[in-house]
Amino acid sequence: MEQKSDVWQGTLTLMVLKTLNALGPLHGYGIARRIEQTSENLLSINHGTLYPVLLKLEQEGSIASEWGVSDNNRKAKFYRITKSGKKELTAAEREWQRANDIMARFSALQGESS
Amino acid sequence: MKRLRRGWKRLLGSLSPEESELSHELQSHIEMQIEDNLRAGMPPEEARRQAKLKFGGFESTKESYRDQRGLPWIETTLADLRYAARGLRHSPAFTVVAVLTLALGIGANTAIFSLVNQLLLHPPGIDHPERVVGLRTEYQKLNLAFNGSSAANLPDLRASANVFEHAAIAQRGDLNYTDGPNPERLRGSAVSAEWFDVFGAKPLLGRVFTSQEDQPNLNRVAVLSYGAWTKVFGRDPKVIGRMVQLNQTPHQIIGVMRADFEQPRNTDIWTPIGLDPKLYQPSNRFNESFFLAARLKPGISFELGQAWMRVLTDRVYDSGTTGAYIAKSSNWSISLVHFTDDSAGDNKAAVLLLLAAVGFVLLIACSNIAGLMMARTSARGRELAVRAALGAGRLRLLRQMLSESLLLGVAGGVAGLLLAAGAVRLLLLLAPEGVVAGVNASLDIYVMIFCAAATFAASLLFGVTPAWQVSRVDLQGSLKTEGRSNTLDSARQRFRSLLVVGETALALTLLVAAGLFVRSFVRLQTINPGFNPKGVMTAMYRLPSAQYAGGRDQANFNRALLANLRSAPGVVSAGLGYPMPFSGDPEAGSFDIEDHPAGPNDPGPHGDRRFISPGYMETLSIPLKAGRYFTDQDRVDSKLVAIIDDALARQYWPHEDPVGKRVRLGEGAPWMTIVGIVGHVMHSSLASDSGKGVMYLSLFQRSKPGASIAVKTYGDPNLMAAVIRDAVRAADPHQAVHTFGTMDYWVSRSLDTRRFGVRLLGFFGVTALFLAALGLYGVISYAVTQRTREIGIRMALGAERRSVISLVVGQGLRLSIIGVAIGIGFAALLGQYLQSLLFQVQSFDPWTIVGTAAAPIIAGLLASYLPARRAVRVDPAITLRSD
Repeated sequence: MEQKSDVWQGTLTLMVLKTLNALGPLHGYGIARRIEQTSENLLSINHGTLYPVLLKLEQEGSIASEWGVSDNNRKAKFYRITKSGKKELTAAEREWQRANDIMARFSALQGESS
Repeated sequence: MKRLRRGWKRLLGSLSPEESELSHELQSHIEMQIEDNLRAGMPPEEARRQAKLKFGGFESTKESYRDQRGLPWIETTLADLRYAARGLRHSPAFTVVAVLTLALGIGANTAIFSLVNQLLLHPPGIDHPERVVGLRTEYQKLNLAFNGSSAANLPDLRASANVFEHAAIAQRGDLNYTDGPNPERLRGSAVSAEWFDVFGAKPLLGRVFTSQEDQPNLNRVAVLSYGAWTKVFGRDPKVIGRMVQLNQTPHQIIGVMRADFEQPRNTDIWTPIGLDPKLYQPSNRFNESFFLAARLKPGISFELGQAWMRVLTDRVYDSGTTGAYIAKSSNWSISLVHFTDDSAGDNKAAVLLLLAAVGFVLLIACSNIAGLMMARTSARGRELAVRAALGAGRLRLLRQMLSESLLLGVAGGVAGLLLAAGAVRLLLLLAPEGVVAGVNASLDIYVMIFCAAATFAASLLFGVTPAWQVSRVDLQGSLKTEGRSNTLDSARQRFRSLLVVGETALALTLLVAAGLFVRSFVRLQTINPGFNPKGVMTAMYRLPSAQYAGGRDQANFNRALLANLRSAPGVVSAGLGYPMPFSGDPEAGSFDIEDHPAGPNDPGPHGDRRFISPGYMETLSIPLKAGRYFTDQDRVDSKLVAIIDDALARQYWPHEDPVGKRVRLGEGAPWMTIVGIVGHVMHSSLASDSGKGVMYLSLFQRSKPGASIAVKTYGDPNLMAAVIRDAVRAADPHQAVHTFGTMDYWVSRSLDTRRFGVRLLGFFGVTALFLAALGLYGVISYAVTQRTREIGIRMALGAERRSVISLVVGQGLRLSIIGVAIGIGFAALLGQYLQSLLFQVQSFDPWTIVGTAAAPIIAGLLASYLPARRAVRVDPAITLRSD
């Protein structure tokens, strides 16, 4: 079985926001599927861990939810990103980009010395 | 912002546990996964299994969701409280006793604090009372001090605008109101324009005075107190603008104050003082006939204000006038006093003492509850051990026990607050008017805060030690011995014994204090006031200056009144006098003695003064020591005469006979011959007579516009009230007469504050004793239960009942005696603070201590005899089989 990485705390929040921003309202299962697809199945999450994250985002006002009906006629709770969630996302993305840049420079350094 | 919002949502989440939504959502998630898996071609069983695997732990998801959703600590606390409530419900006897004890303690404390609050901290009707000050005048060399001031100080204070916001003077003066069916006396206060601003008091109806109205002859307006508005005008809102006759001069009513403002205390009606501007001149500096109050500016401390008074005093010293000479030679000074302290007067120490006493009662109540909780935790030892064994941490157990005491505390606090509301009403009914004038029964925010603080402190006090002992529960021991006694249990019993010893000590301290006050009180009642109050009725009158402008008119009225009184049936003798003993009015002044010139810097002779008619001395049975009393032959046109008392005689004529010597009331006044010497009369109270010498002047040679009437009869003095009323009406039908009371009543009233204090202190002492005995009873009962087996064996082996009883009683007695010994130590230590409140009793009074020490010992004997008797009544066969 191929090695899959665990999702570390914090990144899941960003992934959820990004997914909702890109694809519009989705239910919990949809979000979980999209995240897996986007990571091209390199990422394995227990779907259950998604729900506390959704709750936290909702409490913070970054996302909102309402009950609706899914494609196959099942009652499900749909989440959508809010205005303040979009702001939150922009800020988080910038933060990640910066962290990535820094890490990239260190990776380059390592290459030269070896 | 984000965190705040989330915290708020979580708080809401904690309070509304709702989870069915989540289950729905998770369920539909799993089912969507199953459908996808089926579509991917899995067999149904496998599809379901994979879906569940993919999702992870269903319950653990729910749990972490729950933790996110609410605030776990709130939920734990709520669970603790629910658990505690269940525990308390299961032992109703314990709960009821603990809550009642606590309610008693907290209720009594809250009630007494409400007195302290209204008398000393936050008197009703005054805005920011800490900023209101009164002015005090002192002549150190003359040994004179007044809680009053001259009008000349007012312009100085008003000019100090960076220290004082407002300043005003007031002078009391009763008014005859003659528009009603009967002439009525209203307790009046003449005040300067800013008086109400000093207290930040606003009228309920109408308005207060303007500075234009505060001038001579323009001051024909009046403001009513709420009480007078109710009593005299039936709360008629149309009273504003009405013209009324006050002292037979028309006045217009312009305002009604709120119910909570009656400053100066017990004022019915205010009028503008309208003083002659001359009186505000520095030449009037040394005439203390006014009360002066001022309001400190915001941000100006009392100390700063006090320092400013020093500056004003120095200014007078440096003014280079005759005033400066007088000020220096008598060491004159003005200073500030807190208005609240001033108006509370002698009551301050007494009220604080009561607060301390009632605090002791609460301490004892807390020890009792701590003892009960200990006994309860011993009984629940096994339950707690099981909980600990199942994984409850020490902190968790501690929290649970504290929740229980907090819950008990809150129940006791709420019950206490209800009790306090009733107790304050009762206090106001029982307390003498002098102590609680102006105090109302409502419990304000400060009292609520005090009650909450007392509740919290009490809960900690009785909760912490038992909880701590629980958290140290010996797991294995408790489980193995199946809850039977173990070493921890005996530690608990030792601690409870310690509590009982402490309670007894506190109770004894309180009893000793009460005993000291009772002894002081008994001593006071044997004091001879210097006159015989028996059979004497008194009343007061004041002649309005409009009708009785001159001394001749006043003297005519006085003569007619006295003649009417003497001829009335049942009257043995009658007299007029001002001021009457125990009326509270002071009157004093300097005088000269012929051929005794005062030396330089000697302020000269000084004494109290009384203006009396013939018959006054006989009516009050004041003994004649030498010479004669005044007679009807002492008239304006005859030789001017004076009588002095033996105190004044001793002070100024130590080696000669004063009879026949001459004195006068200052430079240029006519000389008066001393014709008699009488015994000294106590003037204001039995406890604190100044012992100052008195000079009596004839009311018919030197008239006064008002005086007191005294009538002696052999029958019931109360019947004389009608006689006095008729005699006054016969002399002038428009004249009001008021403040009726027997002399016995006035003398006894001067002890009212003490009597009230002694009773309350006695009540608290007995309550403390009862609680301490209850505590001892609890400990001995428990010990007997634990020793049932031992007692059974002893009795089976032939021990007599008597020896078993004395064994148990001896244990209780030992605790009582240790407590009493410690209590005597406490009493000796604390007694010194009481000395100033005692009267002719030493604070370490062996008789009081021996007398009161018997009480806890007898109570202790009784409290341990009852369980002992129960123990020996049990059949040994049953006891032995019981295990």
